Amino acid sequence: MTMKVTRLFLRGCTISILKLAFKPKVFPCTFVPSPDSGFCYYNPRWLHCGSAFCKNKSDSEELQKIVENEPQKNDRSLVTHDDLFERTSKDSKTKASFNKVVEVFSKKDIRRRGHVEFIYAALKKMPEFGVERDIAVYNKLLDVFPKDVFVPQNFIQKMFNHYPRQQECGVQLLEQMENYGIMPNVETKVLLVQIFGKKSHPMRKYQRIMYWFPKFRNANPFPVPRELPKDPVDLAHFSLTRIANDLDATVTVYQHPLTDITETGEEISQPHIVGIQSPEQRALLAKHNPNRPVFVEGPFPLWLRKTCVHYYLLRAEPVPPEEKLEEELDPELVGPEQSLFYPQLLSLDLNRDLGDDDSFDIDEVEEGPVYAMCMTGGGDQATLAHWICRLQETNPILGRVPTFFRLEAGSGELQTAAGVQYNPGQNPQAGPEMEHITEQEAARSQGMKQ
Amino acid sequence: MSLSRTMLKASKGACEIFRRRQFQPNLVILSTRTIYERDYRRPGQAPDTRWPWQKIRFDFAKGLEGISKHFGLLKDEIVGHWVGPEGRPMLEHILEQSRVLWEFRGPESLRQWVVSSDREIGGRSETYLKMGRNNSTCMLYGTLCSVPPRDGETIYSGYCTLRSKQYLASFDRKKHLDLSSFNTLHLRIRGDGRPWMINISTESYFSHQKNDIYSYFMYTRGGPYWQDVRIPFSKFFLSSRGRIQDQQHVLWLDKVNTIAFTLGDKVDGPFQLEVDFIAVCIDNAHTEEFAYEQYKRNPEV
Repeated sequence: MTMKVTRLFLRGCTISILKLAFKPKVFPCTFVPSPDSGFCYYNPRWLHCGSAFCKNKSDSEELQKIVENEPQKNDRSLVTHDDLFERTSKDSKTKASFNKVVEVFSKKDIRRRGHVEFIYAALKKMPEFGVERDIAVYNKLLDVFPKDVFVPQNFIQKMFNHYPRQQECGVQLLEQMENYGIMPNVETKVLLVQIFGKKSHPMRKYQRIMYWFPKFRNANPFPVPRELPKDPVDLAHFSLTRIANDLDATVTVYQHPLTDITETGEEISQPHIVGIQSPEQRALLAKHNPNRPVFVEGPFPLWLRKTCVHYYLLRAEPVPPEEKLEEELDPELVGPEQSLFYPQLLSLDLNRDLGDDDSFDIDEVEEGPVYAMCMTGGGDQATLAHWICRLQETNPILGRVPTFFRLEAGSGELQTAAGVQYNPGQNPQAGPEMEHITEQEAARSQGMKQ
Repeated sequence: MSLSRTMLKASKGACEIFRRRQFQPNLVILSTRTIYERDYRRPGQAPDTRWPWQKIRFDFAKGLEGISKHFGLLKDEIVGHWVGPEGRPMLEHILEQSRVLWEFRGPESLRQWVVSSDREIGGRSETYLKMGRNNSTCMLYGTLCSVPPRDGETIYSGYCTLRSKQYLASFDRKKHLDLSSFNTLHLRIRGDGRPWMINISTESYFSHQKNDIYSYFMYTRGGPYWQDVRIPFSKFFLSSRGRIQDQQHVLWLDKVNTIAFTLGDKVDGPFQLEVDFIAVCIDNAHTEEFAYEQYKRNPEV
């Protein structure tokens, strides 16, 4: 009954007198508007203030000032609310100032006139204030909607799209949450039920989010933490172990980042070099034919959510078929003196039936082996040469193998990184030329190194 | 919001002439969709009022070429029927446990694919397709840019897509892939750590289902090694026009039209994806029919 009375009050156009009588009164109903939220208890509060509001009156005079600076209502400017955000946050764009603007708006007018426009403006401003991933702020913004006004009361209202603009606005707010990957919480649900009712479009959107988000939350088999390590060495460690995909591989920090000032006043800064190599790769490199060169290639991009890091490879050209050695099994395992009943080596795939054939009818892609990977702060040749020098400690064969550098300038550009067209057989006119140039350069640098 | 819309309307008249010149239909064909179906019409673009026959190029040489092509295809179909289903021997058809749908060996294999990006809707992403380093893989690369076009209606942008072309039988009839004897999609890819989405579109009976797409995510590890991705078909969920549907349905594999890779992770920057082959296989350990609930919810939504 009380709710209906308030609705009458609000709907009436001759509110001005009623409002005066009504405003100072703290409405004493601890109403629980839906059976859904029966587990929540609400403190007595203002009619349109939701539970998300904390009413601290600490900087009231400052707020008052902002309210006074607020343009008049009959000012028909298009950018009123954007302007409000801009003016309050001249000095700092933080969560606190954002919250203050929202508070100012909701305290200004009991009917929250223009709240849809305000919410759209606030949604647009959220990334600027750095609060786009904050569920509390979204709840606070949702709290700007007046409560109980948009809840359909009878079946005709339920049948039609009740207060469509407001519902669209609520859906848009939830959609922005969805786009930033924020899951709504119980408070959001309670607010939505209070504002729009149990079967409204925003409520449906909420239900959809709550259904699909947990389904796909752990879908990524290679998860990346949202907060990446700040230290470049830690970041390199993380990315290298991610791309190596080998638990045996060991990460070595060949050089720590260092900035030093010598006695002559020159600033020396050495970039970090972090490399990874697995025992398998070490064994492969030991078997490498010393007459064929190895290449240091890069930079190749790797994306970890929003950050792009670059890595370098030590690799060789694919081994030509005439040089390929057949892997010989250990004669102790397959020799003729093996027991027939207790063989040392048994290659049976017991999961398969007789007719099963899971292989694919394709030719394998021929690619050169990768011997080591590294990430470094500076992509110049001297740094990478230092990496190769340090690799020689564990791989002595590198001292005898010619090493060429195939580095692309401008480490940010992917197209150049990917654009190396080295096709020995396929296009003989373009490939070797480019190769020749890079090799010449490389040989020069090799000479400089030694 | 409503106010800004009226502003747009006011300014629309001024640049109407400019727009018409800029968005001339069929100036640049970005995808085959422009030829076979009604294309996406950008906001502000004048509708294509030409009659259907005005869009056809009547050409004698083209007609002769078409006759030889289509009757050749028809002959292949008839002869193929004598050999067995889909032109393969019956025994092979019954016993096959894996099938390679697409592999990239040579530049002509790229002709079965269509590259598109949000250029179509006025965005700024760029996508290119080329053969990989040793001419045996397909390399999709480019730059993603998620700045929406300033046409007043579009609010999201930033996607890049690689889509297989619709298979066509003789006389330009649609040909569908029948994958109903398989349950897993197998891809060998090499990415740069970005998440991709795999979209499968199937033939449907009603025309309002033509935008239905079954999708699932493909996460790449990055790095120099190839990555084998196996995705059971039961995990694909139904979406239409970019919205996940409430009423989900399992992907019916008897009439698969196209498969597509989409990148749209809202991260501006260069990307690359190398695809070695795309195959389907039977995973006997996988018995799930559909990964999402099918029961009626209570209260029913």
